[in-house]
Amino acid sequence: MAAISSPDDAQNLIAGTYGVDVARPLPGAGGGLAAFAVTDRSAGRSGLMAVQSAPGAPPRAMALNALAGWTDDGLLVPLAHGPGHGARGEAAWFVVSAAPPGPSLAAALRPWSEPELLEFVLRPAAAVLVALDRQRVTHRAIRIDNIFRAGMAAPVVLGTAWSAPPAQYQPALFEPPYSAMCLPSGRGDGTIADDVYALGVTLVVLALGRLPLEGLDPVAILRRKLALGSYVALVGDERLPPAIGDLVRGMLAEDPDHRPPPVLLADPAAARARRVAARPPRRGQRPLELSGDRVWDVRTLAHAVATDPDEGGRLLRSGTVDRWLRRNLGDPIMATRLEEVTRLHDIDGLADTVRADGLMAMRAVAVLDPLAPLCWRGVALWPDGLGPALVSADAMGGEAGDLLAERLGDMVASEAAGHWAAMRPERSDPVALRLAARQRRVMVHLRGWGGGLARLRYALNPLLACGSPIVAGRTVARLQDLLAALEAAATRPELRRGQPVDREIAAFIAARNDQRFEAELVGMADAASPEQAVLMQLRILAGLQRRVDGRPLPGLAGWLAEQAAPSLAGWRNRPRREALERALGEVARSGQLTPMVGLLDNAAARAADTRGFHAAGAAVQRIDAELTALAGGAPVRAEAARRIGHEAALGIAMMAVTVAVVAAVLA
Amino acid sequence: MKARAARQSAARPAHGLGSAVWLQGLACGAVVALATPTAVLSGLLLAPGIGALLLERRAGRPAARVTLLCGVAAAAAPLTALWQAGLGVGGAMAAASEPAVLAGCWAAQAAGWLLAQLAPVLLRLAFDLHAAAIAARLRTERARYETEWGIPPATGP
Repeated sequence: MAAISSPDDAQNLIAGTYGVDVARPLPGAGGGLAAFAVTDRSAGRSGLMAVQSAPGAPPRAMALNALAGWTDDGLLVPLAHGPGHGARGEAAWFVVSAAPPGPSLAAALRPWSEPELLEFVLRPAAAVLVALDRQRVTHRAIRIDNIFRAGMAAPVVLGTAWSAPPAQYQPALFEPPYSAMCLPSGRGDGTIADDVYALGVTLVVLALGRLPLEGLDPVAILRRKLALGSYVALVGDERLPPAIGDLVRGMLAEDPDHRPPPVLLADPAAARARRVAARPPRRGQRPLELSGDRVWDVRTLAHAVATDPDEGGRLLRSGTVDRWLRRNLGDPIMATRLEEVTRLHDIDGLADTVRADGLMAMRAVAVLDPLAPLCWRGVALWPDGLGPALVSADAMGGEAGDLLAERLGDMVASEAAGHWAAMRPERSDPVALRLAARQRRVMVHLRGWGGGLARLRYALNPLLACGSPIVAGRTVARLQDLLAALEAAATRPELRRGQPVDREIAAFIAARNDQRFEAELVGMADAASPEQAVLMQLRILAGLQRRVDGRPLPGLAGWLAEQAAPSLAGWRNRPRREALERALGEVARSGQLTPMVGLLDNAAARAADTRGFHAAGAAVQRIDAELTALAGGAPVRAEAARRIGHEAALGIAMMAVTVAVVAAVLA
Repeated sequence: MKARAARQSAARPAHGLGSAVWLQGLACGAVVALATPTAVLSGLLLAPGIGALLLERRAGRPAARVTLLCGVAAAAAPLTALWQAGLGVGGAMAAASEPAVLAGCWAAQAAGWLLAQLAPVLLRLAFDLHAAAIAARLRTERARYETEWGIPPATGP
């Protein structure tokens, strides 16, 4: 059963069981990726390996989940996966599986006989593909250096294909042309028919005992496949065993629907009897010049437009393509459909001409060759490969990476996948793709730190590690790992000068947390001051702490307390503020974030403080007025004293007179 | 100019009081003519008060009035003795020449004058002390607000 582990720096343990020994590499075992010997510390199993994911190539989360509990033979299935550290101490994701039972088929390439191919290659591989298809998983890494064999009389075992995006390391030779023309990271999961194609190429290679088209670069291989068809391009005039020839002809069909399903391949005799009439593409009387290349048929025309959409768009708008289709290719139906595409270009009326031209070229490619992938401004990919493509653009960096990211972002913003699916409804689900395209556009356009391409990147790659420099050196692919990584980052003084949540972490949280903190993520971007932003971060991290395991995080709490300290200056009542500072320090030392939120984010107390401040201000104004009146009241007091003094003296004198007169009279 | 006019107006009796002054003069003349001994004794005993009455320029002559009243209080006994003895001018002169009587009357008038002078001063002192106590209490209260709420101290004097 595949299980996800937590990182254990000391032992490099995956799932708490599988110890990765990075000092013992297994060359050639990882299907193009670094592989290391693994020790099963609980069951003591031997013959295990861990394949290390490369930076910018996240593992296949869906496949890993789907293959949990897999028991069939013939495939190096994932047993567990989790974060660890590579040979140079770099953070990485490891997928543990059985080690290959022997060398790969590429180790000693020789011509194989028909019975060998049928018995030891086709049947076991087809059985694996049947089982994979049942799980709705594709392999996408079937090639001679990723197929292994224990001995001369043993069936082959398919290698691992789970530590990198589907088909990312597949050579153009083993991929259908419509996958080979894509970004390596954007080939998507594809269908089981793509695995059948790769298996067909493998049979050709083994039957010939050498690699066909050797020495040609991937683009030349692709063009040859498009121009001649894969079977002719690969086999040419070579002689294959008859059964293999018949089988391979079907397996290398350009249209995936024409390839035999794996169930049929398990019975080679039946598969051989299945004949599919695949007509070669109609060839024009004269070629069309496009970007210096001569185009003879619609398939290569579609590829040329996809490769150079600017020139292709110019020819489309000028009517050159239309004329060529009508006069040289004799395909007025196709020409009419292309007219519709140029008409849509005018109807769209987009102010952004680059985007409008991109849409037109994409639609033209989809009309010319419905088998082609989504081709957007020179970038070809399958819609389900968008996630890994975004990762590769981010990992690529530099000008090329920025350009790729810009084009992918433009593709998402234009909902290109929806438009593309609408042009080829018979080959995809336009409703589902339009819906997905709309959701992705909304996600990219989300306001605040919780939106943008970064969020989409994390949302489409569930096992993509957070790329924030704050958590550099640790593989943070899940929320519970994030808190531990931030706690570790809190020990680095240079990081504590900044805030603990940056845009990457915000996007990561947004993608992994099912929109629970949308308001806070928007608030972080809209925060009027860094202190308010910290408060939002505190809310988010406190929510995560509650949700994950509530483990104390004194380092992170202290970091947040430092960042939030300036916000206490907003409290006007000094004794209250000092009490809050003391309380914040105590709570921070306890490592609990939720009480910190309660201290800092108390709206009622804040309002009372503000009211108190206003009342104090009014009282001070009254005091000042009274003091001013006292200071200016001296003349009034003097006049009153004079008047009252005289009256008092007069009163006393009158009293004296009265007493004297009475005394005199009585005397 | 204004101050001088005010002084002149204070020095001159008002027009409406002119007849009162004449009436007072007439009354005094009548008293002198009809009760000469009493007038002589009163004049001698109350000379400081009468002088103050003539010399004081303040409106209402408050000090002179107090002085005169104190003199009247002190002179009540000698005048009563004069009336009861039925003495004439000589008796009045004799009574007035008694040092104890004259000194007592004049001392009483001096005390009255002093009372009239000191009463406003003492009252003002009391008023100022009271105002200072109130100001001190207000400043204490303000300082408490400053400490508690961070209100800046007063910038004025």
